[in-house]
Amino acid sequence: MIKTQKTQRLKESIFKSIFAMTAVFTIIAVIAIIIFLLFNSIPAFQKIGFFNFIFGKEWNSSSTDTYDAPVSGMYGILTMIVGSLFATSGAILVGGTLGFFTAVYIVEFCPKRLKQILSNSINLLAGIPSVVYGFFGMRVLLPLLGNFSANGDGSGILSVSIILGIMIMPTVTALSKASIEAVDRTFYEGSIALGASRERSIFKVIVPASKNGILASIILGVGRAIGETMAVVMIAGNNPVFLTGLFSSFRTATANIVMEMSYGGELQTGALIATGVILTFFILVINICFNIVRRPNNRNRSRTKLSDIIFKFNINNDKTNKNVNAEINKHQFLIRSKHFDVVAVSLKYLSLLSAIIGILALLTTIIFIFVNGLPYITSDLLFGEFTYGGNPSIASSIISTLMLVVITSIFAFPIGIMAAIFLAEYSRKDSKLVKLIRLMSETLSGIPSIVYGLFGMLFFTQLMKLGTSILAGGLTLTLMIIPTTIRGTEEALLMVNESLREASYALGAGKLRTIRKVVLPGALPGILASVILGISRIISESAPVLFTMGASIKPMPKNFSSSGASLAVALYALGREWMHINESYATACILIILVLILNTLSQLIAKVLGKRLKGT
Amino acid sequence: MESNICIRTKNLNLFYDAFHALKDVNLEVPQKEITAFIGPSGCGKTTLLKCFNRMNDLIKDCRKTGIIEINGTNINSDIDVNALRRDVGMVFQKPNVFPMSVQDNITYGPMTHGIKKKSILDNIVFDSLQRAGLWNEVKDRLNKSALSLSGGQQQRLCIARALAVSPLILLMDEPTSALDPISTGKIEDLCEELKMEYTIVIVTHNMSQAVRISDNTAFFLLGEMLEFGKSDDVFANPKNKKCENYITGRFG
Repeated sequence: MIKTQKTQRLKESIFKSIFAMTAVFTIIAVIAIIIFLLFNSIPAFQKIGFFNFIFGKEWNSSSTDTYDAPVSGMYGILTMIVGSLFATSGAILVGGTLGFFTAVYIVEFCPKRLKQILSNSINLLAGIPSVVYGFFGMRVLLPLLGNFSANGDGSGILSVSIILGIMIMPTVTALSKASIEAVDRTFYEGSIALGASRERSIFKVIVPASKNGILASIILGVGRAIGETMAVVMIAGNNPVFLTGLFSSFRTATANIVMEMSYGGELQTGALIATGVILTFFILVINICFNIVRRPNNRNRSRTKLSDIIFKFNINNDKTNKNVNAEINKHQFLIRSKHFDVVAVSLKYLSLLSAIIGILALLTTIIFIFVNGLPYITSDLLFGEFTYGGNPSIASSIISTLMLVVITSIFAFPIGIMAAIFLAEYSRKDSKLVKLIRLMSETLSGIPSIVYGLFGMLFFTQLMKLGTSILAGGLTLTLMIIPTTIRGTEEALLMVNESLREASYALGAGKLRTIRKVVLPGALPGILASVILGISRIISESAPVLFTMGASIKPMPKNFSSSGASLAVALYALGREWMHINESYATACILIILVLILNTLSQLIAKVLGKRLKGT
Repeated sequence: MESNICIRTKNLNLFYDAFHALKDVNLEVPQKEITAFIGPSGCGKTTLLKCFNRMNDLIKDCRKTGIIEINGTNINSDIDVNALRRDVGMVFQKPNVFPMSVQDNITYGPMTHGIKKKSILDNIVFDSLQRAGLWNEVKDRLNKSALSLSGGQQQRLCIARALAVSPLILLMDEPTSALDPISTGKIEDLCEELKMEYTIVIVTHNMSQAVRISDNTAFFLLGEMLEFGKSDDVFANPKNKKCENYITGRFG
């Protein structure tokens, strides 16, 4: 009996170390990425000069510049930092406002039947690839806005704000909605019972109570907007100059990287890496803000001690108090209260308006693409031979995408799930290691996708000599998918009732057996849902695979070391030229359909399987 | 009409969809006294309580027939519900302080009804907390989150918050059921003081609490009011057999 216990214990500890190792992997990955990029940017910083680089107003790169020879080009990114800041502010102005008010509308004001439909579609739309929004912006919004601009070109901050705003709106809505819904309903009753109107109760009690979550959703939107690359490249115009108006062409930091990466010379590439480092730094700062905001607030605001003042005051004025109260007492409910809360009521209508605008904008995007693309999804496009100019078949992209999904899944999901098991089941909630892992995993999820692309290109394709290949693209995406998989799995594991674990232990089951037989089956729907969501993200991402996998849609990939364009990259490549508009729309359609199917599946699995397991 | 009757119901019936929750309730609650509603779970006592400030308007498919008069006005009609709720305060089963500072919790009500002047608001804060017996405990942390208070303090803050809009009536829905005995004692003492100025209706599951603090007691069963009278009479010699069984602990 003692012997079996020994082998049992050995098995337990082996598995525990495996889980721990996968979790520690995230720490290593983050540190590796950051050190690697820093290390590779230092020569450029030295050559250009740190302050010249950041505060330099001119960017005129030359692919012949090296670290040894004198510099012939100009490498200042101030215009792009300013560009990124403006693009992000514009996106938040549009998307943050729309998202927040739409969330309030959905939770508080919308009819019950509409509620479920609206929140489901918002969740689905949150997953639509950014390159689709960029494509829509380029084809529809730019010509439209061009009518109002002096030079007939609609690209610039206005179009970027609108497109990025529409893009981040579903994310902001979904998160704000969750935090408003999480507010204790008794607060609402308490406010109503004091005679406050419905609108006032919502905007003065419910919304303030969820302000941390709402702020966090906005910060997440900021992170997404500042890191967005492909959509911006397609509509910003990309001249490295300061903004002069709503329609002046400008370049963001992310766009800078994607614009010049493919043909960069030595110093030029270094400068692009340095741009990536600065960008990552911004994101890290935003992430820290996000974490501070999300922490429950028990700040002790030390305003002037009102209590003392009142206390002294009241010692002398005890009689006046009675009078004040008597005055209020004159109210009678017979008399309608004259007090009408204009602010709260107008906020209510603003919510309705925002919901209408936001949802219309999203629907317009999708319907427009469907109408223009669906007729062109032909068997020639899907399965035909590629002939340039004649039939730009995307068959090779479909195969590349499938292979990318396979290779990324093989690495990302096992690591992510095991790391989550370690975090949720093996570690104490407040241990330093867990805090570190969580911080690293959150950092990893905050790094903009183009920086992953940069890292993947330098590390996997060049240093590891994997070449521009599906394998390199898959490994790059693996790093991106792991954090979200960890978070999704962890949430699913924590949903499993603690008493079930205790029941299993009480029967003498070990930790491993408890996890395998009790915890994992219970958490399975949640884990599956997060895996499917991960697959949907693999399909949607374009920036990280553009330089690691290649952008050519012509050759059919033979194996994992072949290059190939994923569907999202194919849309970018096809969409930027005027030759194959119809095929671009068709590709955008396919992307949307794939993502919608996967996201619906994810939601259904979480819901249906979840219900079955609960036995209801 | 007797002038000391504060709340009067006549043939009050209430339905939740098809469920008949209150059946022909005829009740007269005297003013500036404490009236307790007792009865087993699901007998309609909380439902009746929520009729007095129309909180069950929030529930879908809730229909009412009959008359509910407060100081002679039928509130089961087209009245200003928000003004009604200002004049009929309510304290809930679980303390539901807003996630704001102690002070903001108190000023929320008065500000809702249009009081803006800081000096008046400051007075109301002091006065309400004083009446709720909480001033000395929280005077140094008026700006701290109300959620940092203990459960009993939170419940008294809820009472203070209700008092801040100067109601005529205080409705209390099992206000001590989530509290420890010491906090319960404090709230009961507070009720005794408050009845000097306010009419109090309290729903309770605690027989001894009803005996201790109430002047009148109503016994409910399956939506009907089976007994109503001075608490001393109801508990000493109940006329209704079912009421006697309930009071003596034979069911419920």
